[in-house]
Amino acid sequence: MAGDAFEVEALSYLDALYRTALRMTRSEADAEDVVQETYIRALRHRDQFTPGTNLKAWLFRILTNTFINSYRRKAAQPQTTELDDVEEATLYRHMVGSGPAPGEPEREVLDSVVDTEVQQALDDLPERFRTVVLLDVEGFAYKEIAEMLEIPIGTVMSRLHRGRRALQERLYDHAREHGIAAARAMPRRGGAEMGGRSA
Amino acid sequence: MSGDMGCRDCLEKLDPYLDRELDPAEFEEVRIHLQKCGGCEEAVVVERVFLDQLRGAATSAVAPPGVRERLILRIRRDVGRAT
Repeated sequence: MAGDAFEVEALSYLDALYRTALRMTRSEADAEDVVQETYIRALRHRDQFTPGTNLKAWLFRILTNTFINSYRRKAAQPQTTELDDVEEATLYRHMVGSGPAPGEPEREVLDSVVDTEVQQALDDLPERFRTVVLLDVEGFAYKEIAEMLEIPIGTVMSRLHRGRRALQERLYDHAREHGIAAARAMPRRGGAEMGGRSA
Repeated sequence: MSGDMGCRDCLEKLDPYLDRELDPAEFEEVRIHLQKCGGCEEAVVVERVFLDQLRGAATSAVAPPGVRERLILRIRRDVGRAT
């Protein structure tokens, strides 16, 4: 593979682009198509890339545009509720807590969750939350995510917060359901001294 | 303690705090609150475990065999570079 430096560096992000496309589209075939389109566009328009700036961010911007413009409608959406409810429930637990500080058992429960469960939970998030979470885990700053998705930075923060809370709820419940003894009857978070104000 | 950050404000800023996205003044407010509040500090510990796990799981996957080869063939065909 005797590509030039631009191509070699661009191809070094293939795994990151592919796994993000896979979680966006939830289809291996569509993910491969999105990634191919991304590289074709990037290489055809490489003169628009400013050398010395973040090539990974530039490629991810093309990836998200490609997904939004061509695949978003096609991607089957999970049957989901609004995350507002999750948000309220989690924050409520934050505030009221119960019993002595239960942090250690909760950590054990979360530690027991395997990667495939995390990936399934991600797949089940509503798309607008999932996309922000996926870009965050790839290491992009809020501002970069806002630019990629052309949404305000406050919206990035809100979606990220709600997406994370929904994932955390789901993973914790999953771990408990699968017989993690330490989790039984254990509040999810917080302690008695967290304020006591009810939501 | 008027002027101190409360637990609700602290918890609402935990994400940007852990993501290093707060401005220095806000970061300091959260940090001071966490020093005083065991409950919120515990929430930080749990959140860190969760975020590590999420990042680890979400970034562990690699492209399956054949994806790279088919991509390079497509680039050669459509862009014409000797990648």
